Amino acid sequence: MDNRQLQIRLGLGAIALSLFLILIAIPNWVSVPSNVPHIVLSPVFWPYTLAGLMGLTGLGLVATGMSQTAGGPPLNEQIEDEKQGYLRLAAIAVIMVVAMAIMAKLGMVWTSMLMFMATVLVLKTRYPIAAFICAVAIPLVLYAFFAHVAGLAIPQGDFVRLP
Amino acid sequence: MTFLDSLMAGLSLVSNLEVFLALGLGVAIGVIAGAIPGMSATMAVALTLPFTFSMQPVTGILLLLGVYKGGIFGGSIPAILIKTPGTPASSATVMDGYPMAERGEAGRALGMALWASCTADLVSNLSLILFAGWLASFALNFGPPEFFTLILFSLTIIAGVSGESLLRGAFSALLGLLLATVGLDLIYGTNRFTFGDPNMMGGLNFIAVLIGLFAIPEVLAMAWHPTGHLGKTRSLGKNKVTFADYKKSFRSILRGSFIGVFLGSIPGIGAAPAAFLSYSEARRKSPNKANFGKGEVEGVAAAEAGNNGVAGATLIPLLALGVPGDVITAIIIGAFMVHGLQPGPMMFVVNVDLIYGLFIGLIVSSVFLLVIGSAAIRGFKYVADIPRRILIPTVLILSIYGVFAVNNSVFDIGVMLVMGWVGYLMMRMHIPAPPFLIAFILGPLLEDNFRQAMLMSGGSPVILFRGPITWFFWGLTAITLYAILRTGLRGPKPPDSDAVASPAKN
Repeated sequence: MDNRQLQIRLGLGAIALSLFLILIAIPNWVSVPSNVPHIVLSPVFWPYTLAGLMGLTGLGLVATGMSQTAGGPPLNEQIEDEKQGYLRLAAIAVIMVVAMAIMAKLGMVWTSMLMFMATVLVLKTRYPIAAFICAVAIPLVLYAFFAHVAGLAIPQGDFVRLP
Repeated sequence: MTFLDSLMAGLSLVSNLEVFLALGLGVAIGVIAGAIPGMSATMAVALTLPFTFSMQPVTGILLLLGVYKGGIFGGSIPAILIKTPGTPASSATVMDGYPMAERGEAGRALGMALWASCTADLVSNLSLILFAGWLASFALNFGPPEFFTLILFSLTIIAGVSGESLLRGAFSALLGLLLATVGLDLIYGTNRFTFGDPNMMGGLNFIAVLIGLFAIPEVLAMAWHPTGHLGKTRSLGKNKVTFADYKKSFRSILRGSFIGVFLGSIPGIGAAPAAFLSYSEARRKSPNKANFGKGEVEGVAAAEAGNNGVAGATLIPLLALGVPGDVITAIIIGAFMVHGLQPGPMMFVVNVDLIYGLFIGLIVSSVFLLVIGSAAIRGFKYVADIPRRILIPTVLILSIYGVFAVNNSVFDIGVMLVMGWVGYLMMRMHIPAPPFLIAFILGPLLEDNFRQAMLMSGGSPVILFRGPITWFFWGLTAITLYAILRTGLRGPKPPDSDAVASPAKN
């Protein structure tokens, strides 16, 4: 994707977002009391103003994009195997979703350890032993600090509970 | 309260070991983080922030300020050694620092960077002490209309942090302003985009949003290209900086310090332009101008003085007006808020001991920077050896604990992870993240002051032009907008000059 394509796509995205906000999001998801004396004091005034500005910015992005010449260099650094890159990103997304899902059951410390190890596996570190030590030690050290120094109630989960 | 009383109150607040340990630790963390390419000073401050919640306000804030100052200097280490600025502010340092390193004079370049940084830091801190109080006493006359116009002007910061395209910066800022509308309405208490979820009624957590925007995208970028960071380091060489080098460069250091102070006190300009301006002025005035760009020690001194001169000065608008001067001070505002403090003119009345405590701590931080920076120059080899594929998962886990610590809320961790993906998408789409964050912070203040002004006037916009202060800020905003529109709307700028390797993301 070159600069021109990016600018136009962002512009169209901004216009679409603006229309979505004006036509659907603000009317449905912002509550307005019945006794607002002036429109400028209404809870919807600010969101509508921002949505309008978003539309104008989108038009500006499209206009500047159209004025540029096509065929510039790609904006993002190319990697050898893009498919592998997308798979790794998907794997990180799965790790995050699973971590959020199991945190209540397993507790933050054990979840963090598993999350660390899973992330290291996705990134394919050359130092697996050091990574394993860090995966165990870092969540424990953070737990010790936040639970015992800062006095926070770190979620412990239903299984092995730490002192 | 006289100046001496205030000073003594500040001194009594900071005169304990814990404060100085925190300050020293902050400088050390900052130098190390700044020295690791990709681990910017911004990210370091963001990740350190949650650790300050359990500390006394002055201790926690000085820890963060230490990280800030250390991080700005630390960025010069990889700039000189591996041609990769650890922070955008160090970009100008590359131009003469790297050629010196190639000649085997890395130690001399790093030494000069440290001395110039410490001198500029001291000048900047003294300027803060001199000007912040004066500005705050002036700002005590501000009401909602004045604050509205001030914050509107401050939003022009976005032009300075928009990077390659101003319109993309504006797009990013509008996204931030929109996200800031989530929560209960400030006047009527009705729901705005909360979907009935009690977690959303107080708005999205600022720390979760900022860590999501600045730390998590690095994790995702690493997943996309795990070997993209591999580079080479070099030895320091045997040459060290001498007093003669320092004396020769002193005029450029002093000039750069004042350039940094001036630009730093204007919200939004930041350290990188100050470094480049200081560098170009030094080159213009130097008898060795032909040597600049080929490894001139005075060039390193000027660039570092420029970017470090900004560090104390960005706190002038922060402390006096409650307006962040750059992204890092925007994060530091979070620390004030967490401790129930609102930076601004009233702080000079209500928390004068804290203000003077911070001033004293900042002066001491220059000395810490000198000591810790000297050690860091020698120890950088070990810092650079931390494998990034272990460092990045560590950042992820630190982020999770840090965000949870704010409100004891797992929901906030979810917000952070989602914002991480938003930040990564923005990174891939070349939409700058700093305007998003600054707008997210200033958005509620802007709306709140606007609506308070409208309540005062019964809905008449005339109140927004009620006196010389509002006219002054309207004028500044108009001039800035004119300059921005004249230069900035031509779409993305061409890529940077060949002298600078891709700077770390801010």
